[in-house]
Parts: sequence; structure tokens; C-alpha cells
Amino acid sequence: MNSMTSAHPMSKASTGKLALFITLGTESVFFVTLLVAYIALRDSVTWNVPHTWTRLTIPLLNTVVLLVSVLLAWLSGAAIRRDNKSALKSNLLTTILLGLFFVAGQIYEFSHAGLHINDSSFGGVFFTLMGFHALHVLAGVVFLGLNYVRASLGDFSAQQHEAVELGVLFWYYVAAVWLVLFVALYLV
Amino acid sequence: MTTQVREIPHKVNIATSGLLSWIMTVDHKRIGILYLFSAFIFFLVGGIEALLMRIQLAQPDNKFLSPDVYNQIFTMHGTTMIFLVVMPLAAGFGNYLVPLMIGARDMAFPKLNALSYWTYLFGGVFMYSSFAFGGAPNDGWFSYAPLTEKAFSPTHGMDFWVMGILMLGLATTIGSINFIVTIIQLRAPGMTLTKLPLFVWTTFVTSFLAVFSLPSLTTAVLLLLLDRQLGSHFYNTAEGGSALLWQHLFWFFGHPEVYILILPAMGIVSMVIPVFSSKPLFGYPAVVFSTIAIGFLGFTVWAHHMFATGMPTASLLFFSADSFLIGVPTGVKIFAWLGTMWKGKLRFMTPMLFSIGFVALFLIGGLDGIHLAVVPVDWQITDSYYVVAHIHYVLFGGAIFGIFSGIYYWFPKMTGRLLGESLGKWHFWLMFIGMNMVFMPMHVLGLEGMPRRIYTYGPGRGWEIWNFIETIGAAIIAISVFIFVVNFFLTMLRAPTHHESDPWDGFTLEWTTSSPPPNYNFAEIPTVRSRRPLWDKKHPELADWKEETA
Repeated sequence: MNSMTSAHPMSKASTGKLALFITLGTESVFFVTLLVAYIALRDSVTWNVPHTWTRLTIPLLNTVVLLVSVLLAWLSGAAIRRDNKSALKSNLLTTILLGLFFVAGQIYEFSHAGLHINDSSFGGVFFTLMGFHALHVLAGVVFLGLNYVRASLGDFSAQQHEAVELGVLFWYYVAAVWLVLFVALYLV
Repeated sequence: MTTQVREIPHKVNIATSGLLSWIMTVDHKRIGILYLFSAFIFFLVGGIEALLMRIQLAQPDNKFLSPDVYNQIFTMHGTTMIFLVVMPLAAGFGNYLVPLMIGARDMAFPKLNALSYWTYLFGGVFMYSSFAFGGAPNDGWFSYAPLTEKAFSPTHGMDFWVMGILMLGLATTIGSINFIVTIIQLRAPGMTLTKLPLFVWTTFVTSFLAVFSLPSLTTAVLLLLLDRQLGSHFYNTAEGGSALLWQHLFWFFGHPEVYILILPAMGIVSMVIPVFSSKPLFGYPAVVFSTIAIGFLGFTVWAHHMFATGMPTASLLFFSADSFLIGVPTGVKIFAWLGTMWKGKLRFMTPMLFSIGFVALFLIGGLDGIHLAVVPVDWQITDSYYVVAHIHYVLFGGAIFGIFSGIYYWFPKMTGRLLGESLGKWHFWLMFIGMNMVFMPMHVLGLEGMPRRIYTYGPGRGWEIWNFIETIGAAIIAISVFIFVVNFFLTMLRAPTHHESDPWDGFTLEWTTSSPPPNYNFAEIPTVRSRRPLWDKKHPELADWKEETA
């Protein structure tokens, strides 16, 4: 933030957080409308969920991976609030690696699911929802990766680390969306 | 975080003049002007498309345009006017005016602001490039699937449309987030929400509408793109897809979109009428609350575009009643504008004429909307020219008249020059007459059963005379726009004079700066004590804050 855009003297909100929350709001409508498409197509003649769908190994593993990464992301934020820069870096790095592991797991699952985007309505819904979620995970990895680089350059301190907070919030969001999708696509 | 409110900041400018300075700019005023200028060019293009359609329809069995070309022209006319003209014109005014009106030096995210503009421009040019790559989109601005599936729409037109819409949606989303954050964060001391100028309020609500409705359009067009390019079956009914899914997703965006188009114009009118009536806006809280109410209700009425799809009776009743309900806050605003003019010292200058034209024409369009909300009536006249009449009374008579009111009103702010008043009056009256000649007969044609979007019609149905009058009206509108362009060039060619910097005796903060304002807008951030800070400054003994706090 530069001096051209100093915040309202009476405003207590953080400009970055405000922008992020609105962005997540618009993202949420996007995912909700995709879920509406999922509900609308469930009864169609070509729904065809594959028999192998009860194999939950990879989705469950991925859920655990993402939940652990959320814990580490939270720890990275807590670390910089205490001005512990090395803990910030190590926690960010493990979060990023777990995120990449999650994406790799998704790609394995996509290619072994016995399903294609064009062979049934379920295939279309599955790949669209999962694909866009995976893109969000990658966006989160990039976000956290930039923060890692900035942390290595010594950009953050206990007083000044808004980007870290925003990256962590985005990561929470990505995990929350995954939980909804996991329940909707595998359990219900 | 440090706040340096009282220090004049330095903007880093790579170039300060010439073309490069416009390409590199992150200044909200310049971006606003870029938006206004680009959108006006697209307005001329969309207008030429309208003229081509009117020539084709001037007489029965006309061979001026082939059916295929006609389909492309009406699709691009609608898409252009909505996405490339009215939305960016509103964004242009918002960019230029919101920081000035709230006493800020720029938007919250100046670079994102530039990104938003260039994404918009590229999206528009990209969509138009489809004419050179095998044909423009040709399925109407709402692109109903499965008609838009590859099997029925084999050219690349729809793919261009989808990708163009994705870019334009992205541009609007980024811009809207920027507006919301700016309005929440950057208001000058004392500028509470109850003192916000009405145009800022409508930009605020419009931005929320865009942020929460556009994702639905994004989903709709993405699924269409996947169907067309990767062979999924979202809208392919033969393979278990759903045709209604498109309509629900599209109109869940499409109806809030109507308010995205009209609310900024309402904001402009709510700024202009008080100044030219020499009175504060009548019923300010009621106008603000009705703006917010329109914002909420706008999300709940989308299926009234789908009465003819065979919905359950309960849904029909709900969406019909809900659509009537939205007439209430709209009516409140009409009465507020009339109440402002009531017993005011009225000055009928061009901005005021366009604002009064807005109120009259928007009222007609609103009443048409009430007709269409009656389910049995809608069943008779849906997809007829009656609907075309309705949308043009609200979007041309409403949005475009409001925007021209704003152009005449703030032109001196942006350039230091006053647009010619007598040419302005010619512009207004010809546009008003032409507009009614084009769109009033469409009501009759709709009731007589003329469907929309047909490229020609046979003789002997009683449609000839009305269609002919409409084409004459379209020519009159074209002349009025030509007069505006002449007025623009004549005004820009002469030197500005000193008395033109606050020519209307304005009320709000944007007029406290020089015209055009300096790069940083305000050398010292103003402190606001009422809804009319400039009035207070000019008339300390009659200051509004004395009354408002009393």
C-alpha cells in the first residue's frame, strides 16, 4: 500500500483482507453454481458412477494431507506473529510440499478413476469440480511459494506480514472447499 | 501501516504525456476516461449494428441482410451494448468519480484498476475479431444452450463469445472488488455511509451485485465451453444433460445484471436532479434503502425470464409476486426524484433534460416490466417485440439517458470545458423523439404477435407501417448521436475558460477540486460534515450540517 491510497483514518479493517474476503465470496458462488449443476444432473440417464467409486483410499489420504497442511499453514502464521522467521519458512515449505502431494494424488486419481469428462454426466461434473478445485490448490501453492521467497528475502516481521496472513486464509478456504466436494462427490 | 494523509504523494509515472502515458497509467481519472472513450466507440459500433437491423426490417421480405448475417448482427448488438457499452461506461464514471466524491486520492488498488480496464478492452476486441475468423456468435446475447452446442452452432462464433465473456467477467469482478474496498476504506474523515453521495452508493451496490452474480455466468459459459470443446454433456439433452440448467445459471446472473446496468444510471440521476433543482435529494435514506432492496430482490427473481418453460404453479406464483415486489423500491425512487424537483428552482440545462428523460422513459419501461411479470400475459407476449420494447425503455431510455446526463454533467469536470448547450438540447430532443419512435411501436408489434429476432417477415400482417416508423426513428437517433460527436469536437477544439470549472454550482466533493483535478486530487484531504460538503463551503450560514445535526 502506498501513500496514494492510505486507508480511511477511522477504518480498522485491513484492505488486503477485505479484498480477499470479497474474492472468496465470488469464488464461493462459482463453486456453489457448479454444485447446482451436479445436483441438477444427478438424476440423468447417463449419470453412471463407476463401480470402483467405493475405493476411497486416495481421496481419504488426500483429505488427511490437506488437513495436516492446514495445521502447518496456521503454525506458519503463528510463527511470524512471534517473529520466528525460521519456523515461518519451514512451515510454509512443508505446507507447499503437502499441497503438491495433494495435487499429485489428484492427478493419479483422475487417471485411474476409469472415468472421462465426456463419457457420462458424472464424468463431466466430477472433472469440472475436481479440476477447478485442483487449480485453486495450485494457486494456493503459488501464493504460499511467493510468500516463501519473500520470507527468505527477509520481507516479513512480527509487525509486517499481511501477505502471510492472506496466504494462510486462502489455504484454509481451499481446504474447506475440498471437504465440501469430498462429501458431495464421494460420500453422498 | 503508516497513514500519510496530509502529504502530497508522488506518483511514479514512467511517461507524463503522449500515448505511452495513457497506456502505462494507473491514475483513476485517466483509467476512467479510457473506459468512457472505449465504451463510446463500442456504442457507435453497436449503434451501427442496430441501424443495419432497422434497415433490414424497414419493409417486408427485405434482402438487405442474409439470415445468417442478421443473426450475428443482433447477437453482437446485444452483447456489445450490455457488456462493452453500458457496464464499462458505468465503470468509467465510477473510476473517475468515486475517489473524488469520497475525498480519496485514488482507488484502493490502482494497478488492479489498470488490469481491469485492459482486460475489458482485450475481451471486447477479442470478441469482435470473431468476424474475421469464420463468423461472429449468432445465438443471441443470452446464448441458450443446447442451441449453442457444437451440433447446432458449428462455427467458432460461440467459442469466441464464451472466452470473451470470461475476460469481460474477470475485468468486471476485479473492478468491482476494487470499488467495494475503495468505498469501505478510503472515505475522507466524516464521510459516513449516511453522507455518501448517491452515485457512490449505487456503485457500491452494483459492485456487490456483480461480484455475486457473475460467477453464475462464468459457470454457465465454462460448462458450455467444455461441452463444445471436450465433449462433456452438461447441456446435451440427448445424453442426459439439462437445457434448463443453462437458463437457471444464465438468468441467476442475468437478472442482477439488469440492475448492474440501471443502478449506476439511477445514481447519476440522483446526483443531477438535486443540483438542477437547487435542493438536496428528497428522501435520501429512502433512496439508499431502495437501492439496497433492489440489490437483494434482484437475486430472487431470475426465473421470471423462464415463465414459458413449464414451471410448477408454486414457482410461477413466487417469481411473479416477487417481481411485482421489486417495483416498490423502484417506485420509491421515482417519487424521490419528483419530490426533489417539487417546488425546486429548476434549471433545464442538458444534463437535467437527460435526467428527466430518464425518469419518464424508465417509468414506461418499468410499467412494461410489471405487465411481463403477470404470468398469463407473459405467456402471450414472451419472446415477442413487447419484450424488446421493455428492455429498450429501461436500458436505452433508462441507462443510456442517465449516462448521457452524466456525460453532460461531468464533462466540465473532466476537461475544464462545457459542452455546447444548444447542440446538447438538439441531441436530447432528437434522441428522445427518435427513441420513442423506435420503441413505442414495438409494444404494438409485440401484441400483434411479431416474434423477436426474425430477420424478415411477410407482408399483409399489419406490421409494415410500424416497422417503417421504427426505422425512421432509428435514423433520428443516429442523427442525435452525430450531433453529440460534433458537439464533443467543437468543445474540445476551443480553449477552456475559468468559469467552466464549477458551471452547475455543484454540491459534492468532486467539484471542490480544480477541473480537471490534479494528479493527487486533494492537496489536503477534506473533512465532511454533511451530504453537500461544497454547498456548506459556499453557504456557511445555511450549511446542511447545522440542520442534520440539529
